[in-house]
Amino acid sequence: MGVVLDGLVLGLQLALLSVGVVFVYGLGGVLNLAHGQVAVAGGLVAALLLQAKVNPVLGGLGGVLAAGLVALVLDRTLLQPAYRRRGEERLLLALILTLGTSFALDGFFTFRYPNVALSLRLPAPSVEVAGITVRTASLAVGALSLATFGLLLVFLKGTRLGKAIRCIIQNEAGAWLCGVDVERARTVTLFLSGLLAGVAALGQGFFSYLGPDMGPEFTILALIVAVVGGVRSLTGTFLASLLLGMVNAALSYWVGTYLTWIALLAVAVATLLVRPEGLLAYWP
Amino acid sequence: MSVPWSRQAAPVVAVAAVLAVLPLAAGDSPYQMRIATLMLVLACYAVAFNLLFGHTNQLFLCVGALASLGGYLSVILVRDLKLTSLAAIGLATVAAAATGGFLSYVSVRRGFGVLFVGIVTLAVSLIVHNLLLGLRDLTNGETGIVTRGLGVGLGDDPHRAYYVLLAVLVASLAGYRWLFGSRHGAALHALSEDEVSAELSGIDVTRYKVATAAGASALVGLVGALYADLNGFISPSVYAVGHVDIPVLVALLLGGMRTLLGPVVGAALFSVVDELVRPFGQLTVLAYGVLLVALFLLFRQGVVPVVQGLLARRAPAPRVSSPRTAAKEEVAGGTEAGR
Repeated sequence: MGVVLDGLVLGLQLALLSVGVVFVYGLGGVLNLAHGQVAVAGGLVAALLLQAKVNPVLGGLGGVLAAGLVALVLDRTLLQPAYRRRGEERLLLALILTLGTSFALDGFFTFRYPNVALSLRLPAPSVEVAGITVRTASLAVGALSLATFGLLLVFLKGTRLGKAIRCIIQNEAGAWLCGVDVERARTVTLFLSGLLAGVAALGQGFFSYLGPDMGPEFTILALIVAVVGGVRSLTGTFLASLLLGMVNAALSYWVGTYLTWIALLAVAVATLLVRPEGLLAYWP
Repeated sequence: MSVPWSRQAAPVVAVAAVLAVLPLAAGDSPYQMRIATLMLVLACYAVAFNLLFGHTNQLFLCVGALASLGGYLSVILVRDLKLTSLAAIGLATVAAAATGGFLSYVSVRRGFGVLFVGIVTLAVSLIVHNLLLGLRDLTNGETGIVTRGLGVGLGDDPHRAYYVLLAVLVASLAGYRWLFGSRHGAALHALSEDEVSAELSGIDVTRYKVATAAGASALVGLVGALYADLNGFISPSVYAVGHVDIPVLVALLLGGMRTLLGPVVGAALFSVVDELVRPFGQLTVLAYGVLLVALFLLFRQGVVPVVQGLLARRAPAPRVSSPRTAAKEEVAGGTEAGR
């Protein structure tokens, strides 16, 4: 029972990470390979703020905001040349640029902050809920991510900008013809993806800890989920996150980390071979 | 092609000559010999990656994985099955070629674009990396394997290692030169410009891409096996994406894609840069990343095409050059955005 709950919460975590990747890909035609590093940036800022004895809630918010800002800067600077191209050219240019950025950030974090880690401790390690012992961290992360997704949903369904973003994902040219400011929507999306990544970093901090070298791991996890869920489908990504979260929790519980990684990667490769549009892409 | 073969061979011979006397400059310092040898290793990988990415548009982010296949297989075959070193290296090369060819075949058949090939091969790289870490009985996990005595003895003699690698590099450059002097080269040029048009004019795109991938992967596997021998020690991390694929990508971009000498010049420059930032530890990773971004943004042509352009302007002799459209800056076509 504990494994199932852990899996669900891990799935929500994965969703926080991968929804950002899917958003940016669907909207900008850019696969952001530096996504995990954005998350780590947020986590490190939060950790530094906490070290400086800032109020924990403010520190967490600061971290999330910092991740959003890193993504925003990425969008306004490095990705601009990519946006000027189209289709395959844009994908390739952005792929290499974000790959380079991810290495640059990785190198910077591990060089400058080798010993900084974000670790959020709650007052009580575990509580009894309906007869089973539950880690408070799981509850906190679950609540945090559900709240975040609630806000995201309200934004997407309720505001004009959110509607515009959904329009662009469906058809960029059509949205542009209807007067949607595509460039602004892209920037907002990257900022949002950064915020989501920042929240995921906090979640990781609750679970165990977040170190400066965890960027690649996050990026790869987000990629795997995005691939399995279908790189253009938000529902698919959400389902894939929950599924892979459960699989991940169950496998690491019973068989160990290496095999878990291999299994997750193999699922991603198999998805690409069997159904490149995503295993769960066209679900309602 | 109307270019006489002696003229075609000239650059290859020049590279061979320059690199052959390089050890004299290094004197007897084993450290400098090691750097020079590692540069040759990188240059060989870059030649292969140039064929894959530059000429057939296949973004294989699994150069390190293919090299590790060559390295580990050649070592394990000798250690556990008591094969002779040469046979083991040969088998490892074939295995790498088969793997690369298979990846390419699947990608072409499924119609993957650059992005999807990149993701699939990156995932394969990580699978291989985790397998090497996880299969402790066979690979010794993170600890790695000491390869001394299991290879052809390149680890004992720095000069021997250098010249063997140089022979491989020169042979691969000669092969490259031959390829692009033949009609196969013309076919590769055609398909790197536009695959559909190439297919329509009777070029078997699948066969060419798969054959190129298999050949390039064979080179990577062979060099990976030789590296295992000359390094004296292998572990998953010496073949990791960050240690092989990224340097190869940077070196190729630095030197110039789709050129004969680009991979060699790029590898040489990269080795110099790498040596300069090495004292700063983790900063090397940062430097790789910044180099990659800066090169791809500002200097996509690379050193070799730029120098060639300068020389051509200096001496406007009637040169016969291959019909290559140099790094055309694409005017946004009507292609659909996204995959």
